[in-house]
Amino acid sequence: MTRWRKVPAILAFEFLSTIKRPGYLITTFGMPLFMGLYAAIVAVPAYYAEQHSAAESSVFGIVDHADVLHLTSDARPSPSRIPDDLRRALEAAGQTRAIEQLTSDATIVFRPFADEASARRALVARGIKGYYVLPPDYLRDGVVRGYTSESAGLSESDARDELRSFLRERLLGGRVDGALAARVLDPVAETQSFAVTRAGDVRDGGSVASIVRLVVPLAFMVLFLMSILMTSGYLMQGTAAEKENKVVEVLLSSARPDEILAGKLIGLGAAGLLQIVVWLAIVLAAGVGIAPLLLAARVEVPWGAVALALPFFLTAFLFFGSLMLGTGSLGSNMREAQQLAMIWSLTAALPMIMMAVLINEPHGLTARIMTWVPFTSGAVVMFREAIDPMSLAWWEVAGALFILIISTFVALRLGARLFRIGLLNAGARPSLREIIRQARLA
Amino acid sequence: MLGGEIFGLLGPNGAGKSTLIRIVMDIIRADAGSVRVFGEPRSRAHLDRLGYLPEERGLYTKQSVIDVMTYLGTLKGLPRADARRRSHEWLEKVELPAVASWRIDRLSKGMSQKVQIAAVLLSDPELCVLDEPTTGLDPVNVRLVQDLLTERRERGRTTILSTHHMNQVEALCDRVALINRGQLVVYGDVEDVRRRHSLPEVRIRARGTLPPLTDIGEVVEEAPGVWRLRLTDGAGPTQALQALVSRGAAVESFEPMLAPMEDIFLRVVREARA
Repeated sequence: MTRWRKVPAILAFEFLSTIKRPGYLITTFGMPLFMGLYAAIVAVPAYYAEQHSAAESSVFGIVDHADVLHLTSDARPSPSRIPDDLRRALEAAGQTRAIEQLTSDATIVFRPFADEASARRALVARGIKGYYVLPPDYLRDGVVRGYTSESAGLSESDARDELRSFLRERLLGGRVDGALAARVLDPVAETQSFAVTRAGDVRDGGSVASIVRLVVPLAFMVLFLMSILMTSGYLMQGTAAEKENKVVEVLLSSARPDEILAGKLIGLGAAGLLQIVVWLAIVLAAGVGIAPLLLAARVEVPWGAVALALPFFLTAFLFFGSLMLGTGSLGSNMREAQQLAMIWSLTAALPMIMMAVLINEPHGLTARIMTWVPFTSGAVVMFREAIDPMSLAWWEVAGALFILIISTFVALRLGARLFRIGLLNAGARPSLREIIRQARLA
Repeated sequence: MLGGEIFGLLGPNGAGKSTLIRIVMDIIRADAGSVRVFGEPRSRAHLDRLGYLPEERGLYTKQSVIDVMTYLGTLKGLPRADARRRSHEWLEKVELPAVASWRIDRLSKGMSQKVQIAAVLLSDPELCVLDEPTTGLDPVNVRLVQDLLTERRERGRTTILSTHHMNQVEALCDRVALINRGQLVVYGDVEDVRRRHSLPEVRIRARGTLPPLTDIGEVVEEAPGVWRLRLTDGAGPTQALQALVSRGAAVESFEPMLAPMEDIFLRVVREARA
């Protein structure tokens, strides 16, 4: 334990000095503010435009040569729009959902015209947004002609949908019983989905549950990548500053390179995670309404994957961080350091890049191989566990974690050697031969 | 090196002093050879007992003085509260108590230098290596640093002092090693080294004039009433004094001259280059 006793002092210093930086505070609290402002700038005009259009009804003309709609005046979608006999039939059959669907808050108004000429004049005069003509042989052919101005907007497609529903109501009115009318009007009232596991168990397969099963590993991957990228940025900045400030030799005379590396990784990693936690908290606070929705949808949270997230996340973070910091410290300036560390960022992103393959074959050969490779195991184990825990053997999880821990230990030692070489070579980047020579001596 | 002494590590630029110090501090590894510290093979376990002020040095510029000093103290194994308390004490010692809350980049070069020395010494290391500690300091602060080092020696602490200021070596160091191109060329007690490398000269103070001494050596008048006598081969200080007295000189003082360290340094380095 004494081997790592300087780590707490280093991590505390790195953590506190990072979170006190103006740049960090601006990013942490300024980013959500900026995103909020951006959303407001985009959403507010859209909201008012929506309110404006909702307040104004779109009037469409109807020239009913087929005599099926029997309109005598403007017909606005409202409960009163449903013919009384159909409403009674639906209510008697307990089809309240169908009534709700029919009486949704549409803003289309249908206005009867005696002939096409008068409807066209009204359209030219901008009195209506368009008109539909039901020819005399509509019942036989089902053909309806629609006329709109050249600058027709989105309301035209809404009007067409409304016209369909409107025609269905009028055609069914008084001709069929309530239940049948309800099915014609609303053929699939609700879809209940179930998933059958390989073990033959049936579990909730609803869209929300499926989404959650995908979202947990995806969130893990995004979080993981964000942490890696942000923390590596802080690491590079810190290392460049230490080179510039010439504090390096004092540090190396007080603590071992692997202690310094581990302290920096944990301290700066914690600062990066704190930033993500703040952002998540703000997002959750803003979208707190989603919780009842998830509860109502009987969402099955993949607790196994959630439990595995912490050990895999922390180990994988240390693994990548060691490699990134070690190679990054060889750079002679910030840009070169980031270029050198880029290879590890790309490797960490590999499961995201291979996402299509993983979703199609979560337990296929590719996924199984990636489970055992330390560069990808963290994200892939999480993903497979979330998708179908029954098909992921315990020894696969334990083996992957074991290899990752061993690899992290090796990466930490290797990273520490590179870190030491990089810090002492304050000038130009050392050659590969020089790195190997010094690494042997270090 | 012996415990409780101030040891001067000397050498021209590029001689390998800083490299040797880095090897001693285990910052870089030697291609060959070994280092023993406190009578044991050098290991990382000795870190907390060692202090080091590198030649290429600096501090975290965006942090406060007290935070940086406390951090460096905790890295030497001090509990945080103790490190903070000692930091304040050492800021008093280097006459900078008011700068505790200042950011490092607000300090002048001299202030920063003193803060760094204080940060190294606050853990009271048993062995401390200071590479050019007084560079950039005014004479008053040079004296302050010298006093701090003398105080350490009185408490039995050991210091390796790498410097180009030979007057400091004469004033502070008990023993010295002079290296050139990685080779040890002079080593030993300062007085012994000066004696060994001194030319056969004596300084004479006398009233009036000196009698002829051509058979003893060459006389050069340094100031009114003060002469330097460079003795010829075979002539010693005793023979010179006897000659002066027997020839009627009114001698007030007579001292064999020790060569200044600076002269020894120059001579040894030039000889090595030749």
